[in-house]
Amino acid sequence: MSAPDPVHAAGEERAARVERRWAGLAVCLMVLLTGMAAYAGIHRATMPQARVETVDPQRLHIGGEFVESNLGSALEDDGSVTVRAIGQQYSFTPTCIIVPTATPITIRATSADVVHGILIQNTNINTMLAPGYVSVISARFDKPGDYLMPCQEFCSFGHEGMWGKVRVVAKEEFVANAARQRRQSCAQ
Amino acid sequence: MSVRDELSFRNSWFAVSVGLTLVIFVLTALVGLVLLPYAQPDLKFANLWDAICSAAGVPRASPEAAAVAPAFKLSDVVLTSTTFAHPSQESIGRGATLAQQCAICHGPTGVSRADSPNLAGQYAGVVYKELMDFKTGARSNAVMTPFAANLNDRDMRDLAAYYAYLPRLPAYHPEREVPLPKIVINGAPVRGIAPCGSCHGSLANKPGSPWLEGQPAAYMEEQLKAFASGARHNDISQQMRNIARAMTAEEITQAATYFASRPPDENVDPFR
Amino acid sequence: MPNSKRLILAHFWLAFAGFGVALVLGAWQMFVRSPLHPWISDPEWYYRSLTAHGTVMAYAFPTLVAMGFGYAITEAALNQPLVGRRWAWAGWWILAVGAVTALVPVALGNASVLYTFYPPQIGSPFYYIGVVLVVVGSWFWVALMSVNLALWKRAHPSAPVPLAMFGMLGGAYLWAWTSVGAALELLLQIIPVALGLKSTIDAGLARVFFSWTLHAIVYFWLIPTYVAYYAIVPRAIGGRLYSDTMGRIAFVLFLVVAMPIGIHHTFEDPQVGAAFKFIHSAFTALVVVPTLITVFTICASVEIVGRLRGGRGPFGWIAALPWDNPIMLAIAFSFVMLGFGGAGGIINMSYQLNMPIHNTQWITGHFHLIFGGAIVIMYFAIAYDLWPHLTGRPLLDLGLMRLQLWLWFVGMIVTTFPWHWVGILGMPRRMAYFDFTDAALAPEAVSVTISVIGGLVLLASGLLFIAVLLRGHLAPVREVESYRFAEAVHPPVAVPAALNGYAVWIALMILLTLTNYGFPIAQLAARSDTSVPPVYVGAQR
Repeated sequence: MSAPDPVHAAGEERAARVERRWAGLAVCLMVLLTGMAAYAGIHRATMPQARVETVDPQRLHIGGEFVESNLGSALEDDGSVTVRAIGQQYSFTPTCIIVPTATPITIRATSADVVHGILIQNTNINTMLAPGYVSVISARFDKPGDYLMPCQEFCSFGHEGMWGKVRVVAKEEFVANAARQRRQSCAQ
Repeated sequence: MSVRDELSFRNSWFAVSVGLTLVIFVLTALVGLVLLPYAQPDLKFANLWDAICSAAGVPRASPEAAAVAPAFKLSDVVLTSTTFAHPSQESIGRGATLAQQCAICHGPTGVSRADSPNLAGQYAGVVYKELMDFKTGARSNAVMTPFAANLNDRDMRDLAAYYAYLPRLPAYHPEREVPLPKIVINGAPVRGIAPCGSCHGSLANKPGSPWLEGQPAAYMEEQLKAFASGARHNDISQQMRNIARAMTAEEITQAATYFASRPPDENVDPFR
Repeated sequence: MPNSKRLILAHFWLAFAGFGVALVLGAWQMFVRSPLHPWISDPEWYYRSLTAHGTVMAYAFPTLVAMGFGYAITEAALNQPLVGRRWAWAGWWILAVGAVTALVPVALGNASVLYTFYPPQIGSPFYYIGVVLVVVGSWFWVALMSVNLALWKRAHPSAPVPLAMFGMLGGAYLWAWTSVGAALELLLQIIPVALGLKSTIDAGLARVFFSWTLHAIVYFWLIPTYVAYYAIVPRAIGGRLYSDTMGRIAFVLFLVVAMPIGIHHTFEDPQVGAAFKFIHSAFTALVVVPTLITVFTICASVEIVGRLRGGRGPFGWIAALPWDNPIMLAIAFSFVMLGFGGAGGIINMSYQLNMPIHNTQWITGHFHLIFGGAIVIMYFAIAYDLWPHLTGRPLLDLGLMRLQLWLWFVGMIVTTFPWHWVGILGMPRRMAYFDFTDAALAPEAVSVTISVIGGLVLLASGLLFIAVLLRGHLAPVREVESYRFAEAVHPPVAVPAALNGYAVWIALMILLTLTNYGFPIAQLAARSDTSVPPVYVGAQR
């Protein structure tokens, strides 16, 4: 790469060796980080949703999975809970989602109009709601508590007013209510 | 070296970099398409092909599950911003004829003398939706339900076109100016209430949301209370019930009084 | 450069004028949504300002800086007058007309959709047409850079292409290819709907097209900064570049790997398969490598200067550096912000760490720190370095330049670090106001207020920057020596064709786009059941 010169050739060779080592280190570092991410994802159950599902946003309210009477938290036969919700300009339905502690939860949600987002503060539950597609996300809460759930994507001029809530209640209380109400929510 | 020589496999740079890139792609694709789906114990796939297609993002049908049916009739109107875009003159004319029966309550110029809503210049989609909801039973009112039962779909579109075409006039009982209530201008974010104008027209119009300026205060207050109690439930996916439930009684009164006192906005395109 | 001064100055002045206006808007935005200001009574104003700020800062300002810098490099590095200067002016005019075409509807409130567009929200068609024109104007520049180098190569067969030109050309090719994504979204999806020619749009596909552009565009913004790292800083501070070869390798890696990684912007989107999210995540890890290489090479180059000036020991060379030189300050600040911003970027690229902070203020903090901070501070350095050669007058006030750079650095840290923090607390993006009286949100109030102060410091720094440049036009004319780029410790004599041109790398870039984006785009485009009605935004109410 330069004219042969004994004085500089040794230095050049050394410099090149040092930077090759650094480049190799950089590559190894990035491979390690990627592997860690994959490993942590699998063992901590925070992986992207497994399937792409489509739905018609114009007909959500007419029938099917996201009709308003089917929204809310449902106790499944295997003891898990499925939460169904929609985001629309400018509220979530149900406005207050109720979930039990110590239970695997699947949140299934979609948008009725523009792109919205669901972010449950103080958790890592965070997903986009795109009209035409169903978002699926897994969750698990250990302790009872209340969380705010803002929309995290600009959905036009009412976006700043789009805040929902999540209430985590003790598992026994949730299961007891499930006998009376097939779809629970804490929206009064 | 010419470009053709550069892009040939005899050029070691090309060969090595293409080879390396493909190896990395194939490896990451295998991990993403096969290894990761199977490494997650809670995912169920029918077979390997199902796993690969799901991971690649081929849309799958949503899992079958019985939906809980609603206990009452819901609105089944589908509205977009272009549903009523270009009404014909014939439609408006037919609507004018039909509207003669509406004038008793809603006024000959579409401005009501009582506490029924002013329809003059209202968004066509709004008039159509409410009429359709009265007809199907999604919304019920002792006076409106029998009227709507006699209208077919074309009648409702004609009426909607006619009323949208009418000029907006100030309300028959214009109220004096009232101060801006915070609930209207800013909503209440943490309670999940956006500013009213973000749907009802002063900031933006969401199809199906009526403009409210100059409507009778008593009517608006009654409707908000009906949404709050669930007595009225033709709002699509509870969007107004969510808002009204979170408002206090005082805020409802403030909002109704405020909008009743406002003159209609001239910049609205009612055929949106 | 003596030949095209007016052209280059036109690019820089249009860039910095837009930058100044957008900076004022940015400071206003931060103020009105903070606890220091009552809730804005018309939130649409906030979103209008946000649209203008983003459109200028993302599409107009960095593009113009890259173009002006590119033309300057073409003349100075290749030692030939710019061929096709009329085409260059045509490109500038198309870009300027496009910017006005886009920003007038924004100013009128007809296109408050934000610079990310996200359909099915649809604004005025003129906004989108304007953005397309801005991009088209910049494609003239790409063509001219390529043509000028081809002519030089024909006149200097097998000579090493000067590193500055090599890097900048890579950025140009990268931009040309990455802008195709947003262009497809605009031309095939959004503009037809905005004009009323189509009545539905696939929002998911639009987001995938946009993600094609969204990541590599930041590398397009970054390339002028990296060219400055390699080709200006070592000379400006009195030293040599540690390695010319590693610089070339870094630039070719950027061209190849910056592009096919955009799906990490759609990690939380429901329309993209999990496998492609992983593939893009892995390739994003690779794009960190050229930055790590650059950090090493530039730190080594700076160390050379420190030791030439008598610095001893493992850290003594740092104190010996020419800290009174504004370029020295710029590179140091840039690297500090690159370190923090880059670490944040590594967090964003990991799906699991990205989940809690996606679309929170962390993201806003991240890209302001890395782009507004590390990258733009070098734009200032580039302007300071080139200005005497463009105006024929020296920039006299080094103290003012150092102050301006200090203010930008401190302001950016004070603005963006609190944003990262409240993002972790879950503060969402793009809201016109927040209820800081609520117990859950009250802890965020102090941080948001601190970042407003940072924003005001940034505003002062930006205005000072423009003042320095204006004064540069008014200084007395003085003989300015011809422009030189940094030399490597071991100047290249024979460079392999693959590090002297981009044929191999462009082929790889296109190949990777096909493998990484081909299926996600094709399988969404093939479906007819995922299109949804538009939601028109604008003064039509």
